[in-house]
Amino acid sequence: MSNKEHIVKTFGFPPIFRLSSFASVKLTITLLVLIAFSVLVGAWCPQESQVGKEKVIEQFGPNLGNEFIKYGIADIFHTPWFLGLIGLLTVNMIACSVQRVFPKVKSLRKTLPYLSTNEIKKIAFNRSVELEASPEIIISTLGKKLSKNNYKVNINNEKLTAEFGKYARLAATITHIGLLTLLAGVTITSWTGFNGFQTVRLDETMSFADSEHSKLWIGQLPKWKVYVKDTKREDYDNGDPKQWYSNLSVIEENGKIIKQQEISVNNPLTYKGVDIYQSSWGLDQLAIAFNKNVVKLNLRPMGKLYAAFVPLNENTILIFSIKDQFKPLRVFAKIPEWQTPRLLSEITVGKSVKLGDVNLSYIKVIPVTGLQYKSDPGLLITYIAFGFIISGVLLAAIPNRQLWAHVLVIDVKKNVLTIGGVSRKAKNAFEKSIEKIVMDLNAKFKSNDSQMQGGNKDQKKKEQYV
Amino acid sequence: MSDLQVTLTNTAGISSVISFWVFVCSNAFKRWQNNLIRLGVIGIIVGFISLTIAIVARGIEAERFPLANLYESLLWFAWAIMGTYLLFAKMYNLKQLGWLASLTAATMFLYGSWLPAGQHEITPLVPALVSYWRQIHVPPLIVSYAMFFLSGLSAFIQLWQSGHIRSVLFSALAVVLSLLAVALGTYTSINSFYLQALFVGGSLIGMLMALFNLKHINQKFINREKADLYDEVEYRSIMVGFPLLTIGIITGGLWANHAWGTYWSWDPKESMALVAWLGNAAYIHLRIHKECSAEKLSLVAIANMLLTLLTYLGFNSLGFGGLHSYGKFK
Ligand code: HEM
Repeated sequence: MSNKEHIVKTFGFPPIFRLSSFASVKLTITLLVLIAFSVLVGAWCPQESQVGKEKVIEQFGPNLGNEFIKYGIADIFHTPWFLGLIGLLTVNMIACSVQRVFPKVKSLRKTLPYLSTNEIKKIAFNRSVELEASPEIIISTLGKKLSKNNYKVNINNEKLTAEFGKYARLAATITHIGLLTLLAGVTITSWTGFNGFQTVRLDETMSFADSEHSKLWIGQLPKWKVYVKDTKREDYDNGDPKQWYSNLSVIEENGKIIKQQEISVNNPLTYKGVDIYQSSWGLDQLAIAFNKNVVKLNLRPMGKLYAAFVPLNENTILIFSIKDQFKPLRVFAKIPEWQTPRLLSEITVGKSVKLGDVNLSYIKVIPVTGLQYKSDPGLLITYIAFGFIISGVLLAAIPNRQLWAHVLVIDVKKNVLTIGGVSRKAKNAFEKSIEKIVMDLNAKFKSNDSQMQGGNKDQKKKEQYV
Repeated sequence: MSDLQVTLTNTAGISSVISFWVFVCSNAFKRWQNNLIRLGVIGIIVGFISLTIAIVARGIEAERFPLANLYESLLWFAWAIMGTYLLFAKMYNLKQLGWLASLTAATMFLYGSWLPAGQHEITPLVPALVSYWRQIHVPPLIVSYAMFFLSGLSAFIQLWQSGHIRSVLFSALAVVLSLLAVALGTYTSINSFYLQALFVGGSLIGMLMALFNLKHINQKFINREKADLYDEVEYRSIMVGFPLLTIGIITGGLWANHAWGTYWSWDPKESMALVAWLGNAAYIHLRIHKECSAEKLSLVAIANMLLTLLTYLGFNSLGFGGLHSYGKFK
């Protein structure tokens, strides 16, 4: 990059307000380091948004923990500091890309100019060798060798240009387009997307009113609702849960059912850009009747089962235990004298049993399904960005190599080949490969008194390990 | 673990130790230097081949892709270090990198062999890891870590060959203290706060001292040609590691989106990989900027190696939390 490119005309504005003052790679490096440092802090300190405030205080104690919460260290990715850094990086990247990176695309259309011996000798790496063959033969042999090494070769009489990895010159452009696209995708999602989690009982509906979204959010939460028509659990033979299912109906504002689908883990329902995932499952309430008095008991998960406890008097507790809505309800009693609760009865749904003078009926159990939902309008753009970024950084791994050659005619048989070139990323490997080609040519078209020039290094030494 | 696998893994470990000492001897006995170096390279070739077979055998025995816990990832890491060294050795005729690469591989073998036996056994996967995404997501990451190590090691030689002996020593101190913190975190129950302080403090002090001592140059050691060469190897390792890390991070996002419906959640290990990514992006731009000397770039490469160490091993052993706790072993 020549110095000229850095000088951009500016009229009157103090330096800080010029867009070009954001186009500095120094600023880029500073920002990358500061962002890396902030992310490192975020990785080290448990983040409120993931583990909750309590965990932060538990880890660092009340004093330090509360300081961390106060200064945003425990929520660093939402602090003005972090968002500001990302904002600056964006401006920096746009300025730099427009000014210096994207124009590189144009250079692809230009072909390399042919250079004369004198011009080639001005290139930092160049070699000359005297060969006993005609210019046409020398150049075409060189061209074939370079083509074999995947160079793109152009020949014009006794002059040659060749380039390896031409499209690698696009690496920076493609990567930065990808990064800007990524920022666009993420911004779209955070400004128009929402997500949330809700537990919904069988026969009840879920709305999106409690969705989480960013402060800058624009848009409208969906008016349609989701009705849980059925939900159940499937087990392995050993009793471990295998899969959860929920049969959902999408209901529009006017009460019309638009869509019905059974979802399960990894098999979400999608409607109008909102994905609804099955994410947990449980039994919530038990409806029973004591002598026709209906009561609803809250169930608690106990290992693989769910249970409800009803104290009858100071000493006696009734325990109801159930596995899922298809298994019978088991009723236990526990008094202090007994080591373990005793099974009193098993009741299938809809049936009653007599316990002493009480008629106990099992009416129903109400399952609850945990639904995770999200709307991610920027997802497609984000995925496209991923594609660009991966292509760009892969291209950057290929070293671009440019090479020029010219045969200067001395007489019909004896001629001098001069060859020179540049490779910014793999200078040593490039020079070695060219030296090898020149030596091969020298061996093939040997001129008795020929000596390679420009090579100030002892070739024998090159063969050793370094 | 089958006997075959144990034998092959041990062969790889032992041959990396032997080739390390052969490389060391090659500097002491100049007369046989070239032959000893050839022997050292052969040692790494033997180690590389047996390790390749060992990893394949493990996959067949486990009936799954053999990269599911810390121990297996260490095998992959050593494999990548050895393989890439051999590739570079062929491209550039490298010598010194040989003893550092074999030393690194040997250290990883040793670290792996001291892990609790449970890590060596083939165990069923936890449900979260049963996915074809695992074999797309993890190998690029481990290989990229190995690339950043090779880059850091080349940086050491670059500094040495440009006469910055003091900076080499201080950077080595930084690396040794960080490794000590990781080792103590793995095998003892010292409070992780102290170990974090040891890692971060050791790295910072060592690297800053190395930076301030760049002006001390020992003319006796200067070999511009070699310094240039290792500068290039350092750069190219990063240019190979960087796309791999990028692919690893992005496929991790795709996996997460597939499994949980969100591609990024600032999980600590995720964040650490991003830190390593940003550090290497800074290196790439420093190179483009062209105002930074090769020696300063070498220090940045070594700093990135330390970040990689923190991401890869420091993370679990120094008590950071998060989803990726399958790397845990206590
Ligand atoms: C935010 C501000 C950024 C600015 C202003 C910036 C600027 C630049 C510039 C000027 C180049 C040199 C183009 C050339 O001469 O070939 C470049 C190359 C590059 N940048 Fe960035 N960059 C930024 C962020 C990033 C980030 C975050 C990454 C992360 C991946 C990145 C990856 C690359 C890559 C891979 C190259 C190509 C390097 C090569 O071809 O050797 N850039 N960048």
